Amino acid sequence: MSETTTVSAVRPEPGVRRWVHSATNSNLAPIILALVLVSVALSILTPNFLTASNLTNIVTQSAVVGIAAIGATFVIITSGIDLSVGSNIALSGLVGAIVAQTTGSGLLGIAVVVLVAMVVGAVNGASVAWLGLAPFIVTLAVMGMARGLTLQISQGQSVYGLPESLNWLGSSAIFDIKTSALVTVLLFVVAHFVLSQTTFGHRIYAVGGNAEAARLAGINVKRVVFAAYVIAGITAGIAAIILLGRLDSATPNAATGTELQVIAAVVIGGTSLFGGKGSMVGTFIGVLLIGVINNGLTLLNVSSFWVQFVQGALIFLAVLLDSFNSRRKQRAGR
Amino acid sequence: MRSTESGSIRLEGVSKTFGTNTVLEGVGFALSPGTITGLVGENGAGKSTLIRILSGAIEPSSGTVELDGVTLPNSTRGVIEAGISVIYQELTDVPDLPLLENVLLGNLQSSYGFKRTRENRKRALEGLRVVGLDHLGLDTPLRELTIAQRQLAEIARCLVRDAKVLVLDEPTSSLPEADVETLLGVVERLREQGMTILYVTHHLDELFRIADRLIVLRDGRKVAEAPTEEWDEHSLVRAMLAGELDQAYPWRSRELGEVVLEASDIVAPGVRSASVTARTSEVVGLVGLAGAGRTELMRALCGVSSAHSGKISVDGSEVRIGSIRHAMRAGLLYASEDRKGDGLILEGSVESNLIYGAYDEVSRFGVINFRRVSAFARDTVSRYRVRLHSIKQAIGELSGGNQQKIVVARVSERKPRVAFFDDPTRGVDVGAKASIYEEIFQLADRGAAVFVSSSDTDEVLAVADRVYVLAGGRIVAELQRGEFEREKILHLSSAAGANAGGSNR
Repeated sequence: MSETTTVSAVRPEPGVRRWVHSATNSNLAPIILALVLVSVALSILTPNFLTASNLTNIVTQSAVVGIAAIGATFVIITSGIDLSVGSNIALSGLVGAIVAQTTGSGLLGIAVVVLVAMVVGAVNGASVAWLGLAPFIVTLAVMGMARGLTLQISQGQSVYGLPESLNWLGSSAIFDIKTSALVTVLLFVVAHFVLSQTTFGHRIYAVGGNAEAARLAGINVKRVVFAAYVIAGITAGIAAIILLGRLDSATPNAATGTELQVIAAVVIGGTSLFGGKGSMVGTFIGVLLIGVINNGLTLLNVSSFWVQFVQGALIFLAVLLDSFNSRRKQRAGR
Repeated sequence: MRSTESGSIRLEGVSKTFGTNTVLEGVGFALSPGTITGLVGENGAGKSTLIRILSGAIEPSSGTVELDGVTLPNSTRGVIEAGISVIYQELTDVPDLPLLENVLLGNLQSSYGFKRTRENRKRALEGLRVVGLDHLGLDTPLRELTIAQRQLAEIARCLVRDAKVLVLDEPTSSLPEADVETLLGVVERLREQGMTILYVTHHLDELFRIADRLIVLRDGRKVAEAPTEEWDEHSLVRAMLAGELDQAYPWRSRELGEVVLEASDIVAPGVRSASVTARTSEVVGLVGLAGAGRTELMRALCGVSSAHSGKISVDGSEVRIGSIRHAMRAGLLYASEDRKGDGLILEGSVESNLIYGAYDEVSRFGVINFRRVSAFARDTVSRYRVRLHSIKQAIGELSGGNQQKIVVARVSERKPRVAFFDDPTRGVDVGAKASIYEEIFQLADRGAAVFVSSSDTDEVLAVADRVYVLAGGRIVAELQRGEFEREKILHLSSAAGANAGGSNR
């Protein structure tokens, strides 16, 4: 109360800042700093890091995790979580690949991939929204079921040799830049717009910030939660298409453990696991940071076993920061 | 424990303003060693501010506070060292630490880094002896103590700091009756030892038992001070309230229009059966004891809780019960009593909190026009005189009164047909109260029907055109302005409540 100013001192904020900032209140400075520091360190340690081809390569390598992280950001801001994303990528990719191969139609395959992934997302969303089940448990169960289905359908065998049109998104390039990288960036721009500029995005924050207050404000909380999981399903499907094209095959063990990287990217990007706070810009930077670290560890010939350790450690750090921030906020709010 | 010569407090012309809001104005009194002075006043009278000034947390805007002729240091640390200790309503101890360390909190003398010195234990025991807790082991974890014992341990902590002046802020508010006796006994014992004591409470009976003098604050001013024997409970309450309500929220007559809301036989969680009506421009009060069903009735009418049966119509057309969105579309809007629980989204910005769920006027094809949102928000906060840094600020950072203004504004600015304000002035100061009621009146002037409830019956009586008295989930009486009699309402709500309480459940 002591530092308050009167209303006359309230100034409009510049438009650009508002566009980026909107309702999030999240502070991106630490993660941008981390990204810069890691990049500078890698530029010094290895001559191969700071080359145009390597930098676009990082975005391309990050496409699957990045696109899945878009959906996960919606879900996590509603204070939910989606552990089934890796299994969903494998299941939808496999089913789509089989359909494409048997019918010979890549476009049908693409439609099936997205449809299957959306259904998985809808199962998650309906269970959380209308059955009132805990997101962690539901998506853990769905993660197991989806992976089990994938193994059963494929009998453990990979599907090779997919139609060109199905592979296009994950394997083609436009002016030396991989289409998948461009699509990733494009989707992030769209998602950022939806989250920060639309009534739907505003509702997402409201539901995650205080579901009961959102309900009293007239927001259909259940529908918003459901929609968030469906979006997560759709983005998992798009990620699956890119993975299919990159590998020119569907394997039943595809994207195992991807959920760890996805959640890491979102949380490192400043989205709070307590809900109500976060941004798409943050997630994008989180994705880049993980991509840069993965890339750097490879360039430095560090064992790939360490890569997973580092990702785990990053989540740990991010959650720790998140928890500190929330507690400080709580104390300040009293 | 210390000489009776020091510990005199003198306040002269102490004022405190926050922005444009004057919370204390020209308060002066003296406290002498070996006496207990009671400080009373309504919520928002300025007691908390006065306590915060005495604790060194804030400085007065003007005036002086002296301890033994020396101006008070302007830090809490400095004030404690000077000998003034404050016991707050809420415990400030560390439940996981043992008694010893709690009593010595902030005052632990270490010897070569070791804290468990004989000197420390001796000092702690001395303090605990005065408050009658020396029979407890010093190593007992604090969480194993009762609330009353922990309260006493806090007093012991003050004694260990060699406090000369003790300020107690509602020390008995969470204590069972038996423990209140113990605490009052300890306070009296401290007086005998020459301590200067300021005792702040709503429990007037406690003051009549132990206080030597009583000081009454109202609207930030000292309105009376006299030895306890010159007061009785009646005169004290009158001094606390006198005329203030009518001044703060001047009721004014309005032309009432047609019946806009008709609700009949509402049965809902906490509501057994209630029928209410309201006319345009009418302010309708809901009064009753805690648990009488005021909140529950409002929530049922607005579709917030799922009503079991009943009929609600607005402007003659029926509204589906138990649906928030149907109620909203019909113009029934609810401002929650619990702003932190379900009224506001504390992490959200001030402007976001003004528009959550109501996007029609600020969006097009689902895209929010944030320029319009900001303009609307800036306009609203200036009309409601909300004090803040920026409308982008998280609303949780605002003070309670300012948060409450947003809760009220959010409903008022959505053009309700019938607005329901559930305890709209909960925990806000006098200034904020007045401006909140001003907004509510203006809403009624614009033709909305307004329901107001409050835990403070006088407040509702001061603003309403008509009241419903609730008891046990039923409406037991309906009174027009002019028939408002406090005694009668109290009688109605308690007697009928007892009757209703026994029957059908």
